Amino acid sequence: MPLFETVFQEKPTIVLEIGSAYSKIGFSAEAYPRFIISTEIESIKDVLKSKEKNIYDQTVDFFNKIFFNYLLVSPKDRKISIVESVLTPTIIRECFAKVLFQHYEVASVIFLPLHLVSISTLALDTALVVDLGYKEAVVIPVYSGVQVINAWQAQPLAAEAVHDEIKSNLILNGVKEEILSERIIEDIKVRTCFVTKMSRALSYRNNEQLQAAPDVEYPIEGSDVIKIPGLLREMAFEALFPEDNDFMGLPYIIIDAILKCPVDARKELAENILLIGGTSSVLGIKVRLRDELRKLLKSDIYKDRLYIDDVKFHSAPAKPNFTAWLGGSIYSHTDLISNSITRESYFKHPRIPDWTTYDSSITRSQG
Amino acid sequence: MEYLLSKNVEYVCECGLLKPLTNLYFCRHCLNLRCFFCCHHEVDSHFCRNCLENIPSGEAKLRKNKCNTCFDCPSCTLSALSARATTIQVPMTKEVKEGGEGSEIEASSGKMVSKKMYYLACLACRFSSRDVGISDQPSQNFFWPEQEYMHAIRFNTILNHYYSVVLHDKQLKQEERRRRSTKQSKFPNMTDRTGLNVSAIRRQMGFDKSAAKPKSKPTAIAPSIAEDVDDLPEEIFTQPINLKNITTIQQRFTQPANQPESVKHLYPQHKNLSIKRSIRCRHCEHNVIKPEYNPTSIKYRIQQFASSHVPEVRIIKCDQLVPNKSALITLKITNPTMNDMIITIMDLPTEEEEKMMIEEMRKNFEKNLSVSNKSSLMRPSLIEDSRIVSCKITAKLELPDSSFVINQRDDSAEFDDDVQSDKKDPKFILWRKANKIAIQLSITPNGELKVNDDVKIGFSMNFTYSSVPSSTPEKKETQRYALCARIYINAGKIVQ
Repeated sequence: MPLFETVFQEKPTIVLEIGSAYSKIGFSAEAYPRFIISTEIESIKDVLKSKEKNIYDQTVDFFNKIFFNYLLVSPKDRKISIVESVLTPTIIRECFAKVLFQHYEVASVIFLPLHLVSISTLALDTALVVDLGYKEAVVIPVYSGVQVINAWQAQPLAAEAVHDEIKSNLILNGVKEEILSERIIEDIKVRTCFVTKMSRALSYRNNEQLQAAPDVEYPIEGSDVIKIPGLLREMAFEALFPEDNDFMGLPYIIIDAILKCPVDARKELAENILLIGGTSSVLGIKVRLRDELRKLLKSDIYKDRLYIDDVKFHSAPAKPNFTAWLGGSIYSHTDLISNSITRESYFKHPRIPDWTTYDSSITRSQG
Repeated sequence: MEYLLSKNVEYVCECGLLKPLTNLYFCRHCLNLRCFFCCHHEVDSHFCRNCLENIPSGEAKLRKNKCNTCFDCPSCTLSALSARATTIQVPMTKEVKEGGEGSEIEASSGKMVSKKMYYLACLACRFSSRDVGISDQPSQNFFWPEQEYMHAIRFNTILNHYYSVVLHDKQLKQEERRRRSTKQSKFPNMTDRTGLNVSAIRRQMGFDKSAAKPKSKPTAIAPSIAEDVDDLPEEIFTQPINLKNITTIQQRFTQPANQPESVKHLYPQHKNLSIKRSIRCRHCEHNVIKPEYNPTSIKYRIQQFASSHVPEVRIIKCDQLVPNKSALITLKITNPTMNDMIITIMDLPTEEEEKMMIEEMRKNFEKNLSVSNKSSLMRPSLIEDSRIVSCKITAKLELPDSSFVINQRDDSAEFDDDVQSDKKDPKFILWRKANKIAIQLSITPNGELKVNDDVKIGFSMNFTYSSVPSSTPEKKETQRYALCARIYINAGKIVQ
């Protein structure tokens, strides 16, 4: 049967986005991923603490699941594109390449920068891409199809911070810690929490009394019922907007990223902001960011330095959690996929070139 | 079940991982143990695990690896939906009359006829297709209405746009290259200097048509427009929410395209297909596992499980383990093959020897590679890097002083009376029975072990293996080999 397959037509490229919480997997030229599954590589979350062999084994197992339980294809001699942030640790990138080339014997692998390919879903070449994932928020401006790497900003302000906030708050309210598993906290966050308005957040911060959103009775595993206070529902996502003297909240790093770009580019970037990543699908985050950014534009820190009047947001033709994957799917459909690292060249130089590699013998032409 | 799951006795796979014998394969051609990790996996055939229909791989690809007829429950995401029949009263129409059943009844406008209609229901969580507003269908195998993806059109325009942009770039580049390459002519050309180059002449002669090939232009696309965002709805601060109407993240991810937030939009999802996979040895490219194509069959066409080739070791009992005090452990060894086996128990190789073994294996593999490369076009597989066994021995094992024979497996022997062999067995053999033998060895746990530490012993077991005659001419006769398996045993915990 595999014989006919090759005669028929070219097999579509396998597109993977391995996130730190969820992985998006599917084929190129499709409008949405086939599956969104939780990433079962434990050590991907704490790369620095774990041994290389450990990551390798877990990656082999996880990819085995992806290929044989979900996508149902033999990976041998297939093309793979992996959508990942440019800030991915080299150890992970090299590990993925080693697993794919050596264990699964794929034909070629290409690593696509997540922020860059995301904007292809908008048919634009300039945008400020804000990736709100599980571990961290990463802001990278893309101007005329080039990532402005020196303007990158990243802070651990994402799903994990929100989860910690919810957990500590519920424990303070007298909920037993044992029943609050990661899965339940995530469920509470997804089903009950939202980002409140800026004005209300300000009032809470000034200890004004407000009528909070209604409380929710949340059943756990059929045995317990815990009460989720309305205040927590509104304020859980305040973890992304810390107000302190570090000025490192989500709005601040977005503005900082714009500020590091040339003056000519700033206005265009501010008016083309794209939010991607699972955390940005929460209700109310766009409004809140817009209000916060507008406020910052007029604030004393930035007033005389920025020269922009307004911010605008795009919405991609996809759910935020797979926008980057969709970019990879579009990219992999074009002929540019032929720029990927082939098996032969990998075994000549078993290293993956990235933007920090200056070794001229390895750098390949980028498409 | 305990026997299948227990990890007390583990064998060393060729790749250096420790696995129970039941999880290992035995490659008949390399005469070595192989495991799930170090073998090559391949998709053999697609099938639906609900209706057990075999689906050819080409068709499976077209259907996006989903079954046409079976649906998964989107609500509990655990079980399949089943079609339920219901009868409804419909006014008589011409169609019903012609359909056969109603032909006897006279067509009077007021008459009602009962008609069977079907809907999908989950037997586990009572979800039904009526909950999400899918109307009942007249036939079970009717194509249920598919959910539309709202961004499909926009996505296609973007996809085509980028495809054409890249194609256009490529053509421009090629043209550039062609233009450059014409200048490289070594000899001066008179026609060029006089302005009479080939294309000019062609144009003069009226052969211009073929020259101007229409260039593909990138398709136009309207870029996305940044819009102002909607404010948070006011009622979110006042209206209580009903958790039962909000989907969980697992429910959302079963429909990656739409990820509905309300249970009203949980549509039945086509069931994903499953595969039968075959497993191939990386060293010799022979299959160790090849299932039958038929999805209803659980048999294999090729099955090389280690448990039917390699003698199996089990712990019968072990004395209490105290540091620095010798204890007796009783092991049962079973010969699963149809030939007698001579077994010798020896010490494990030291770390240096282990490294040498790995090195030797690598060299062997590379040698084979260069030989096979010349003859076949197929690219040979790569092998996993072998590793040093991670388990550390924590007790000293007193090895038996001689080798012993285990009789062949004989299914009829189970019905015979026990016959004591005349041969005098060495002392460490407690008893023998058909193809099984029990041996007793003494172990001394190391002094530094504490209470509740595991006591690990290990040994190499050399055994004679007689190959099964195969159809290939050079292996027609039974050959005997001396093989070796490394075994690690967790004897138990230290007690006070």
